[in-house]
Amino acid sequence: LSGEELRVGEEHAALRRVATLVARGVPAEEVFAAVTEEVGRLLPVESVAMGRYESDGTMTVVATSGPVGDRFAVGGRWTLGGKNVSTVVAQTGRPARIDSYADASGAVGSAVREEGVGSGVGTPIIVDGRLWGVMTARSGPEQPLPANTQARLANFTELLATAIANAESRAGLARLAAEQAALRRVATLVARGAPPEEVFAAVTEEVGRLLGTHLAGMARYESDDTVTVVATWAAEDDHGDAHPLVPGPWPLEGGDLASTIWRTRRPVRIDDYRGVPGRIAAFVRDELGIGASVGSPIVVEGRLWGALFVHSKRSDQPLPRDTESRLTGFTELVATAIANAEGRAELMASRARIVAAADETRRRIERDLHDGTQQRLVSLGLELRAAQEAVPPQLGELKRELSRVAKGLANVFDELREISHGIHPAILSEGGLEPALRALCRRSAVPVELDLRAERRLPAHVEVAAYYAVSEALTNAAKHAHASVVHVELDTHDAILQFAIRDDGVGGADPGRGSGMVGLSDRIEALGGTLEVTSPTGSGTTLLIEVPVEGQRSAGSPGP
Amino acid sequence: VSTIRVALADDDVLLREGLASLLERFGFEVVGQCGSASELIALVRERRPRLAVVDIRMPPTHTTEGLDAAGAIREEFPDVAVLVLSAHVEVEHAMDIIGSGEGTGYLLKSRVTDVDDFIETLKRIVRGASVIDPALVQELVAAQRVDDPLDELTTREREVLALMAEGRSNAGIAKRLWVTEGTAEKHVRSILMKLPLPATEEDHRRVLAVITFLDAR
Repeated sequence: LSGEELRVGEEHAALRRVATLVARGVPAEEVFAAVTEEVGRLLPVESVAMGRYESDGTMTVVATSGPVGDRFAVGGRWTLGGKNVSTVVAQTGRPARIDSYADASGAVGSAVREEGVGSGVGTPIIVDGRLWGVMTARSGPEQPLPANTQARLANFTELLATAIANAESRAGLARLAAEQAALRRVATLVARGAPPEEVFAAVTEEVGRLLGTHLAGMARYESDDTVTVVATWAAEDDHGDAHPLVPGPWPLEGGDLASTIWRTRRPVRIDDYRGVPGRIAAFVRDELGIGASVGSPIVVEGRLWGALFVHSKRSDQPLPRDTESRLTGFTELVATAIANAEGRAELMASRARIVAAADETRRRIERDLHDGTQQRLVSLGLELRAAQEAVPPQLGELKRELSRVAKGLANVFDELREISHGIHPAILSEGGLEPALRALCRRSAVPVELDLRAERRLPAHVEVAAYYAVSEALTNAAKHAHASVVHVELDTHDAILQFAIRDDGVGGADPGRGSGMVGLSDRIEALGGTLEVTSPTGSGTTLLIEVPVEGQRSAGSPGP
Repeated sequence: VSTIRVALADDDVLLREGLASLLERFGFEVVGQCGSASELIALVRERRPRLAVVDIRMPPTHTTEGLDAAGAIREEFPDVAVLVLSAHVEVEHAMDIIGSGEGTGYLLKSRVTDVDDFIETLKRIVRGASVIDPALVQELVAAQRVDDPLDELTTREREVLALMAEGRSNAGIAKRLWVTEGTAEKHVRSILMKLPLPATEEDHRRVLAVITFLDAR
């Protein structure tokens, strides 16, 4: 075999080995190292290096082989410019060659000259039509590189491009998958109607983990031009308790993320905290040790509600350029969660108002019946009796007629008393739940064992709800359950009124059917309470009801 | 028979006038009328009536002002009989009123139109009886209970028990049931044997005991 045939054979073998690595999908860094190694062995060069062009006019060294100075170590970052192979390739996108470094310039050029390089060549690494980086090869002093060096390098850079394209799409897919999974977890919480606080904590953690940052946080703008931290997350190797987390409120007056987003309503980044004015920036920089941050606004139904932040402790490396756009998916979910919670809170308040208005109407009707109709009936009865007395004895039939009418009026009074009691039992307002329930149980068609442990008076709406719940349950027990006894227990625990109503009837009650049960559950839910019906066929019916005593059970207070 | 001096309290002027007119026709002397609890107490202090007839619901809150006034009057003037009228009857109110001693009553307002009974009841209260509205007693007696001790009673005994709860004396019961007083006494004794009720000669104590028993059974 000729030297040329041997060379071609070795080169093919090397290319095959690299291609196998690429096909196996090993990490790109491994391919980079292998390629520079193979090229270093095959070509009559002293050293080989591979660099990646960054978007900010710099180049990062990603692999080397052969004797290169420490300054060219992997990971090093170089500013492009001047006369040198890497810069020329970056500028032209084509292979470049420098046979004398005497007049080389720029950061790279000067460093290479100082290394005592004879000549250098570089070939672009073009991934999917985009200039990704460069592979360079150098000879020692007084050793010009063969004319075909660029061409032979190019064989390898094509393989590199494939490896990089593969790795990028894999990494992109993995990243996308992780992002989608995180978004899905948050979306599930939101759809479940989890309390906003829970969503805030989840989003902050997901974002922090996904973006690989040291800290993540969420803040809410308040109506008095301040901002409050509502959730924070710190990476595990970064003890959260070491951070003096101060929820605020913080004044919005500096150049920090929160203040800037508040002014601009746009995503904001800080790549360098030095000189950023304001208390928040000082705290983030000096107390939390943050070097770079990105924040994105949370806009709820057109109104700036708050912001989501990620922070890195590295001051030498800004957060990736796509951080803002990656935050957006999460801020949109947070906005949905807040809008939902606000909608729910409004709905709850509206239901509570409707129930309160209905209760008030019943009270008013009862009072009107009492003060007007019932009093009037008694007055008329008295007048009738007076008229009856005035009838002369000889008109006995008329006297008896008037007496019958007076008795009829008294019966109407009794009927009205029953109706009025059904509309709103006066004793409930006068004496509270206990006497009202005791009276209710006395009137029940089924015997009731009443166990009352709530001694104090409760808010009117709670007493009314409890009264009608028991009333409805007793009616059901008598009408449908054919029960022989009903047990009613009431107790208050931790500002929650709990009551259990059990009967020994036929069971099989369907809480979704029968307007009484639906109305009952509506009423309980309107107060932020819960109703649980257990009614196995043949084993009686149990209603377990809980109603918060002090105002509404928190449906989330999503802020201003 | 001396004239019974009465004070009336009800914020409904029409009804109050009607009641005053009724009482005067039946020989009572209405010494004063008013529309609130505080006025009533002042009126009683000034005129010292034998009887006060009070509406339970009066200003300012229209809840149980009359009940509170009745209590205050009984506290200050134990010899003034008090009848509390109400549009609805509650056992708690009944206990309150009867608990303040003899010469008290608690009736549905509509009873005033059953004139003869009403006048008779007022006279009984003035003589020291304690009177509870039959509607409330009916509600108490009719309440369904598991293992009801009232199941031990005969139908007639249940009628007698209800009349005892209404504040009837044995003689009153006999008159109501068209039996001799001896027969009425026999029923009462039988009831006292069957039910855990104390034997007492005082009317209001007996009423209180029966109502308490009926409510708690």
